[in-house]
Amino acid sequence: MTQHRRYSGIKVGALAVPTIAALVLTGCSAPASSSSPAGGAQEFSLSFATSNTIESPFQVLAEKYMASNPNVKITFNPQPNDSYDQTLRTQLQAGNASDVVVTSPGSGTGRSILPLVQAGFLEALDESAKELVPEGSEALFGTDGKVYGQAPEITVVGLVANETAATAAGGSGFPSDFAALEDQCKSLASSGKSFIALAGSAAPNTGLMAMSLAASRVYAGDPKWNEKRAAKETTFAGSDGWKASLEAVTALNDAGCFQKGAAGAGFDAITKGLASGNSVAGFIPGPSWKQLKTAAAGSEFNVRALPAEASSEGFVYASANYAFSINAASKNKDAAKAFLDWAAEPEQTKAFAEIDGALPVTGLDSYDFNGGAYKNVGDLIKDGKYGPLPNSQWPNSAVYDALATGVQGLITGQKTADQVLQAMDTAWGQ
Amino acid sequence: MTATMQPKSEAAKAPLRGRRAPGEGETPRPRSTGLQLGHWWWALPGIVLVIAIHYVATGIGGFFAFTNWTGIGSFKIVGWQNFEAIFKDPTKLGALTNTLFLAFGSVLLGNVGGLIIALGLNRMLKTRYILRTLFFMPVVLSPLATAYVWKYIFDFDGPINVFLTSIGAGDLAKPWLADPQWAVWTVLVVLVWGSTGFAMVIFMAGLAGVPVEVEEAAAIDGANLWQRFLNVTLPAIRPAIAIATTLGIVQGLRVFDPIMALTNGGPAGATETLATQVYKQAFALGNFGGGAALALVLAAIILFFAVIQQRLTRSNPED
Repeated sequence: MTQHRRYSGIKVGALAVPTIAALVLTGCSAPASSSSPAGGAQEFSLSFATSNTIESPFQVLAEKYMASNPNVKITFNPQPNDSYDQTLRTQLQAGNASDVVVTSPGSGTGRSILPLVQAGFLEALDESAKELVPEGSEALFGTDGKVYGQAPEITVVGLVANETAATAAGGSGFPSDFAALEDQCKSLASSGKSFIALAGSAAPNTGLMAMSLAASRVYAGDPKWNEKRAAKETTFAGSDGWKASLEAVTALNDAGCFQKGAAGAGFDAITKGLASGNSVAGFIPGPSWKQLKTAAAGSEFNVRALPAEASSEGFVYASANYAFSINAASKNKDAAKAFLDWAAEPEQTKAFAEIDGALPVTGLDSYDFNGGAYKNVGDLIKDGKYGPLPNSQWPNSAVYDALATGVQGLITGQKTADQVLQAMDTAWGQ
Repeated sequence: MTATMQPKSEAAKAPLRGRRAPGEGETPRPRSTGLQLGHWWWALPGIVLVIAIHYVATGIGGFFAFTNWTGIGSFKIVGWQNFEAIFKDPTKLGALTNTLFLAFGSVLLGNVGGLIIALGLNRMLKTRYILRTLFFMPVVLSPLATAYVWKYIFDFDGPINVFLTSIGAGDLAKPWLADPQWAVWTVLVVLVWGSTGFAMVIFMAGLAGVPVEVEEAAAIDGANLWQRFLNVTLPAIRPAIAIATTLGIVQGLRVFDPIMALTNGGPAGATETLATQVYKQAFALGNFGGGAALALVLAAIILFFAVIQQRLTRSNPED
């Protein structure tokens, strides 16, 4: 019996040791939240989304900060882009998120600032962050006059075009209006190429296409349309502009604007299509021109607005789509704020935009668009014909999901424009 | 038959479970108290862990089905509102239809295929061990990894369409996984491919217990191959069929990763299932309450079909 008990004790010990070790190790694996050690050294952590092997501009900027401040150590926590929202929310809820996190202005995505502020997860930022909020976007960065995100750059969203492929395709140059675009689509389709490379199975891409079509059909004439929708003065289903936008998706499909098999294609189809010149343009964020240039050094890539019904109705989305925010539960707020203050300096905002291939968040009025990738949207921006991405002002991510999924259904013939718009209205009320 | 098959040791212990044996108490055995009490507390840590990790967590998840929690911040109790929304939403009802179609389709085809393969590889064939391994391989491989291979195969520029074009049937080439009519069938093909090997192994275990003598006797009595299968083999492997179909239905009803990798529920929800909807609602769209409600519905459906299926395939009606 004594021997039996001894064996039991050994067994219990054998089970307890690895269990306790596992628990201890699990506890140790949580992100470091070190306070400032002696000697003035500072530490904090930074979370950002990454979707390719190219070094993130957030990481490059942070490394530059460490190089100029040797007493600072930044721990990087890159997360896959497709699961970033979920990871960020879970970590914030659990209290173990990074000290500095990359968020998005508005309320339309899982990483959006406003719902995170409502849940009490973000720290209010100071004047230097306030000064970087793009004009007209104040409501997307916080509430009650406080700002919870610091814009690092202005991202233009429209078409990224392979100008070399467009020239090789012949015709009369890049189409100036929608009718010319349809003609060029037909011409390219007959030669086995496509004007647009579409990732039809990727909701972010189909949604971006529909929003780009709505730029000239909805927001050019009524930049405050989202506010009216929020006030229930209009609906998606009752909007002629939105209906025309979704009908334009079908028109593009019928004109053969998309590559063969577009409905089932992923993002790789865009990269391959644009880099090889088999497609002329894709609905991707402006900074992607720089990454495409890396893949196809012999081609010239520019950012353009999608041709409107009439060339005078041009409108493009240009806004701060990302922001630095500080975790309200951070124990290293001073170090995090010092980093954000440094990142707000004109020299750093300019550097960040150059690293990412975007436009600087400050000094846009005096920005020289000539000769750069943004030369074709320069006039629109200088004339004030631009606005934030619509979904940043939508109340939840379900609205964008209804749009993106619906566009997929339009391409495959499963849905009509009216059905998609009604689904968006339903999602708005969730 | 059952009584004669009962092991001696078990038969000896039988009185302990039921009626008191005559004379018990007069000569108490020192070990019987220990066995009766059985050091039951040995299992306590395990029981506590199972209750805490499994049932309490599930219960809390179930509670959120009655709230409007978004995954962050505070929440309100909304009663049955999330369940009402499920049954009013055509997308969710489409997901329910797809779930049942894929579960029963994969069980039916996977088990029929598995049984045919098991019968073919049961005896005689010299290469049966290699073939068994090959057929079982899909079960061992990661469903996510193999789904990506299948995604490439069914891609518009993939091998199937290349083959069709090469034989002059280019008109049949299509984006299989993005075609509203074909997508769900394409997913079914992948699920059947993955489940056939599992069913095969269970049926092979069942076939190993079928006495050769009985089959030979039936053959001598003039029964042909089909009659021998129908009247001898099939009744003998009924327990194996029960296990294979039950596990197949449970697995089929909660299928998730192959669909996420193949179609992500598309095109436009054509291959959406309850499991993919649970994930999307709870984690992608921040509707944690709705996702939890869907998960409860899914659990209830799994339970319902598992019980029904068990009752239909039980060997002994008194079980």
